[in-house]
Amino acid sequence: MSSFRRILIANRGEIAVRIARACRELDIASVAVYSEADRAALHVRMADEAFAIGPAPSRESYLRIDRILEVARRSGADAVHPGYGFLAENAAFARACEEAGIVFIGPRSETIALMGEKTSARRLAVEAGVPVVPGTLAPLDDLELLRGEAERIGLPVMIKAAAGGGGKGLRLVHDASLLAAAAERARSEALSAFGDGRLYLEKALLRPHHIEIQVLADHHGHTVHVFERECSIQRRHQKVIEESPSPFVAPELREHMGALAVALAERAGYRNAGTLEFLVDAAGHPYFLEMNTRLQVEHPVTEMVTGLDLVKLQIRIAQGEPLPFAQADLRQRGHAVECRVYAEDPAQGFLPSPGRIVALRPPAGPGLRDDSGVYEGGEVPIHYDPLISKLVAWGTDRAEALARMRRAVSEYAVLGITTTLPFFERVLRHPAFVAGDIDTGFIERHLGELCAAPSDEDRDMAVVAAAVRALRDRQSARAQGPVPAGATSAWRARVWRDLGPAR
Amino acid sequence: MIYEATVDGHTVRAEVRAGPGEGRYTVRIDGRPLEVDVRDAGPHTMSVIACGHAQEVFLEPREGGYRVLLRGRVLDVGLVEAARGAGTARGAAGGPARVQAPMPGKLVRVLVRAGQDVGAGQGLVVMEAMKMENEIRAPRAGRVKEAPVQEGQAVETGALLVLLE
Repeated sequence: MSSFRRILIANRGEIAVRIARACRELDIASVAVYSEADRAALHVRMADEAFAIGPAPSRESYLRIDRILEVARRSGADAVHPGYGFLAENAAFARACEEAGIVFIGPRSETIALMGEKTSARRLAVEAGVPVVPGTLAPLDDLELLRGEAERIGLPVMIKAAAGGGGKGLRLVHDASLLAAAAERARSEALSAFGDGRLYLEKALLRPHHIEIQVLADHHGHTVHVFERECSIQRRHQKVIEESPSPFVAPELREHMGALAVALAERAGYRNAGTLEFLVDAAGHPYFLEMNTRLQVEHPVTEMVTGLDLVKLQIRIAQGEPLPFAQADLRQRGHAVECRVYAEDPAQGFLPSPGRIVALRPPAGPGLRDDSGVYEGGEVPIHYDPLISKLVAWGTDRAEALARMRRAVSEYAVLGITTTLPFFERVLRHPAFVAGDIDTGFIERHLGELCAAPSDEDRDMAVVAAAVRALRDRQSARAQGPVPAGATSAWRARVWRDLGPAR
Repeated sequence: MIYEATVDGHTVRAEVRAGPGEGRYTVRIDGRPLEVDVRDAGPHTMSVIACGHAQEVFLEPREGGYRVLLRGRVLDVGLVEAARGAGTARGAAGGPARVQAPMPGKLVRVLVRAGQDVGAGQGLVVMEAMKMENEIRAPRAGRVKEAPVQEGQAVETGALLVLLE
């Protein structure tokens, strides 16, 4: 058992910031890597050391195993934390770390390969006696085979990428005539996201819940589960709001799913933090979907209800320390909810909205946590995932957690880019969501209401504010003569007048 | 000042007059008067009190108006000075439709060519941005007059993708 002195964070954005914070608390030096687009990014500012690894496209930087390992060697890092996305579930990267004598903070490379290939994970689940969603147990390369299997399973089916994750290469097909086009799109997306275009099929369940179980396993044969997360609020098959506990899960189901998750993790010889995703049908039957062999974006909701720090535990496990608790020591306390703040425009089908953040005022106060990767004046680059922050609220029960989240969203101001925050404001007030009546079709089903027109009061207030602002800008522009280039408001013009131009 | 203010498709006449008193304004929306007390709280923030109702407002100047943030809700307000705005055409209905890139990105596929008839909602091009493929669809039915783009090409926000007639 040895303590790390220096951890390389092979990631960017809010998760790189999150890991750097854990390193600082553990008194371990953090090493950031950055692309040319990210020199001024927050994760670089937060790290102890930082090294450039190439041009903006992730293929030429954050996905370059050789350059990242070169930085690890040069900086003297004893471990690498991959975060999520990029190389987090890349067995070749984990293997390259192992071969270079650098600890990969996660499972062994062969476990990543076994569980990362979704059809082999499904086969292992069947062997472990864990129910799986009906579908194909091997990847299909041929469109005719795909068509035949779709017929056998019965529509609707979900086309999935064998190497997949994060909603990439995923298509729901209701109509046989659309299968070919959907498969082609899924294949091309999977190829560009994972470098592997192989697909498989699963039967699409009716109004399923997406519920996952967090597991932790040390190197001494102890595996525990850290309860569930409810992740049913999704758009484009990507989660946007998660909570724990799930309003749908009764104690018996929780215990049952926890036992299934531990059984499968043990069967896989799993180490470190991982998550087993399940679909749960309306009758409460869980079906194993896939395992994510890494930290999850939504890990903070588990941290809030258990009081654990999963990233620090990951580091401690990787250092060879035994888990400091047993299953019986773990409790859920209260309720936590997370909103993923994306630079996206819900009104335009969640199209990305990159750009410069002109103004940023994150919320504060009791029960809140804002895991952000951006700052006022900073740029949200086009090249990467549009997640800018994870906003988490905790309460003694679900009602208090939701009330806190509504309050937090109303305080959270972001200007310059379009975000999903106003959309959350509506989801959080939607009666079905408040009642806990949620499944993976929630957003699609309620999209009209969730993008509804503003109230008359809001319209009036917006017009009043804009008209007054326009008049004030106009008057101060006249009072001060020509406004210096770059000044966009009276306030700036006044600052400029009082302080003079920057020297 | 008198503005034609447009929010979410509704256009109203907003007359704003300063004073009496610092930060005090009277705004008439289609004739209804509202007295407000306004203070700047930063380059993009105002505190507004209207008849005792306090509201924190974040504003971002945008082309032809402001984006206004009210307690987590976003409203885009278009402003045209009434004198100048009189007689401004609202964009001819039934004319050609320009389908533009809603974000910078790379064109993965161009699904239509000049001369082709398309239905409303039909996919025109597939763009890749922020690691996702996004299908850009026809806003209405029509014939493709021009599709001046190529697969693999990088485009900026607002670039013409397809011209429908």
